[in-house]
Amino acid sequence: MTFFPEEVLEHIFSFLPSHQHRNSISLVSKTWFKVERLSRHRVFVGNCYALTPQRLIARFPRVRALTLKGKPHVADFNSVSPHWGCFVFPWIVALAQNCPSLQEIKLKRMVVSDNSLDLLSRSFPNFNSLVLVGCNGFTTDGLAAIASNCRLLEVLDLQENEVQEGISQWLSCFPESCTSLVSLNFASLKGQVDLTALEKLVARCPNLRSLRLNRTVPLDMLQKILVRAPQLVDLGIGSYVQQTRSESYVKLCNSVLNCKSVQNLSGFWEVFPPCLPAIYPVCWNLTSLNLSYARGIRGLHLNRLIRQCQKLQRLWILDCIGDMGLEVVANTCKDLQELRVFPSDPYNAISSVTEGGLVAISIGCPKLHSLLYFCLQMTNAALITIAKNCPNFTYFRLCILNPKMPDHITLQPLDEGFGAIVQSCKKLRRLSLSGFLTDKVFLYIGMYAEQLEMLSVAFAGKGDKGMLYVLNGCRNLRKLEIRDSPFDDAALLADVVKYERMRFLWISSCEVTLGGCKALAKKVPMLNVEIINEEDQMEENPDDSMKVEKMYLYRTLDGPRKDAPDFVWAL
Amino acid sequence: MSLSPSTSKMLSLKSSDGKVLEVEEHVAVLCETIKSLVEDGCADSPIPLANVDGATLGNVMEWCKKHADQKASADDLEDWDAEFVERDQGELYHLIMAANYLNIKGLLDLICQKVADMIKGKHPEKIREIFNIENDFTPEQQEQIRKDNSWAFE
Repeated sequence: MTFFPEEVLEHIFSFLPSHQHRNSISLVSKTWFKVERLSRHRVFVGNCYALTPQRLIARFPRVRALTLKGKPHVADFNSVSPHWGCFVFPWIVALAQNCPSLQEIKLKRMVVSDNSLDLLSRSFPNFNSLVLVGCNGFTTDGLAAIASNCRLLEVLDLQENEVQEGISQWLSCFPESCTSLVSLNFASLKGQVDLTALEKLVARCPNLRSLRLNRTVPLDMLQKILVRAPQLVDLGIGSYVQQTRSESYVKLCNSVLNCKSVQNLSGFWEVFPPCLPAIYPVCWNLTSLNLSYARGIRGLHLNRLIRQCQKLQRLWILDCIGDMGLEVVANTCKDLQELRVFPSDPYNAISSVTEGGLVAISIGCPKLHSLLYFCLQMTNAALITIAKNCPNFTYFRLCILNPKMPDHITLQPLDEGFGAIVQSCKKLRRLSLSGFLTDKVFLYIGMYAEQLEMLSVAFAGKGDKGMLYVLNGCRNLRKLEIRDSPFDDAALLADVVKYERMRFLWISSCEVTLGGCKALAKKVPMLNVEIINEEDQMEENPDDSMKVEKMYLYRTLDGPRKDAPDFVWAL
Repeated sequence: MSLSPSTSKMLSLKSSDGKVLEVEEHVAVLCETIKSLVEDGCADSPIPLANVDGATLGNVMEWCKKHADQKASADDLEDWDAEFVERDQGELYHLIMAANYLNIKGLLDLICQKVADMIKGKHPEKIREIFNIENDFTPEQQEQIRKDNSWAFE
């Protein structure tokens, strides 16, 4: 079997959508490279500064669906200035000129201007999907352009963006002819929307499956929407406030009965808890429940709601659920695979969940494999139990709100507990550490976490050995974040070749100096080393011994970026 | 369409190595190429198929016969197909080429999926070995693609 005609090769490749497989294919021979290059329609770029748009287009001229990621992950915690960079505009300009067949864009943590959205909306005749996650820089006027001009739009998904109010009523800009929407998410928008336009839009889109409303959409409109779209699979509720004796509440109760397809439920930005029983009829079928915005649902109301949801696989919730509430989850949701418990008051380090709630979950929910847990305290014994009960963890992110806190019973570091996690959970790909830790925990991580791809460390370690254990041991590590730790120049420079295997290294508030970063930049000229100093005015000629507030290192095929602001130094 | 099984007449197909196969018309027309000939009234007897050898034509028609059988359930066909693709690479290659030439989408998809499964998760060196493909890149070209892939399109 030596020679496939190109059309047959392309057909074979169409059964290999993942970019890992396609990267392998591209290295087989010149013919395979060419056929793969011209037939890769879905392209993923993990760092928009790893290459220029021109290089992307030269390699994959027929791209139809592009995912672009921008700022480093720590931007989610306000650690990166909004003016740091990652502008999507040059990408849209280049794509508009060269790739008219583009249909889908997903952007994460990028700066998206109204101009970008306007150009986007007018440049690709078959454009149908826009997903923006954690982006900023645009207003509802940009959304109005998308609504007005993208005639075939199926997906408009706005997650966790900072959107300013423009002058346009963007929702009323969808033309009468727009009937193609499958997914519409504007839950994170703050401003009022045109409710009449919303109801009409929902009514004329028979394929709508996912709809997430913002807090300005009231309960009586929710009721009207459910009458128009009983086929919804994914429902995000806006405001859920009404008197239980009112006519609209009674109507809501009846409308919910017809919504038999709902599997994902989220929202509840404002809640009058006695109204919650109206939603119970959809709960038995839910696989995903996100109450991370539902500050109004707590206590008995919350427990009663959870008890309705026996099929849950994913639960996102605020820590006001408490250990008792987590026990209800453990007793009810036997299929739970993913749990995220968010802090309701992150700035005051108060939480009502502890190691007790998590141990209960690990006993009740053996299928759990993904965890984000903000809690008050932890013990080694609890972590060892959890590791034993749930050996399938792929994501394990534990955030003890009080940094550097040891095992609160034995006052020992939490090394042994996290050691148990990495030793038991062979499939672990992502790990976030917190609490009082010594270099021992890094020894365990380097020894056992063979599949680890991303590690986040804060307030940990005693010297510089820790990172060497990790860099030497975790062969699959691609993303590393270290902050507030005694990580210094010696650790930074010990094994620089390893950085070529990684998408990025982020260091903030450690012991690394300007001189250390300069030496690093010299040793790895193909990697970009950026120093970010937003707070202080940097001196003209700062001393090499100056400690660096933030350093970001990443691979790039096209050299230093040209759009760095003044507070970013590219070494 | 007068192609129902009960009234189906026989078609003669002639392979590249001169073998003639008698096949019921409702089976043979799963090949879009043959279907067009029949519909246009251009189906000579026997129909010459210059790109398909006799053994492969036999295999292709075996597949068509199974898939023309109205009584076969979806599960049944799935099991049967899974067994059908258990062949050596030479046979798979000839089947792909024949399915492509005769324009049989179902069969082409089936074999392409099988070949894709053979590629999945393998390093380029291994893929070359399996399919006996020569590496015609220079070491520099290969290094550049490898780097582009892992640095930008990971």
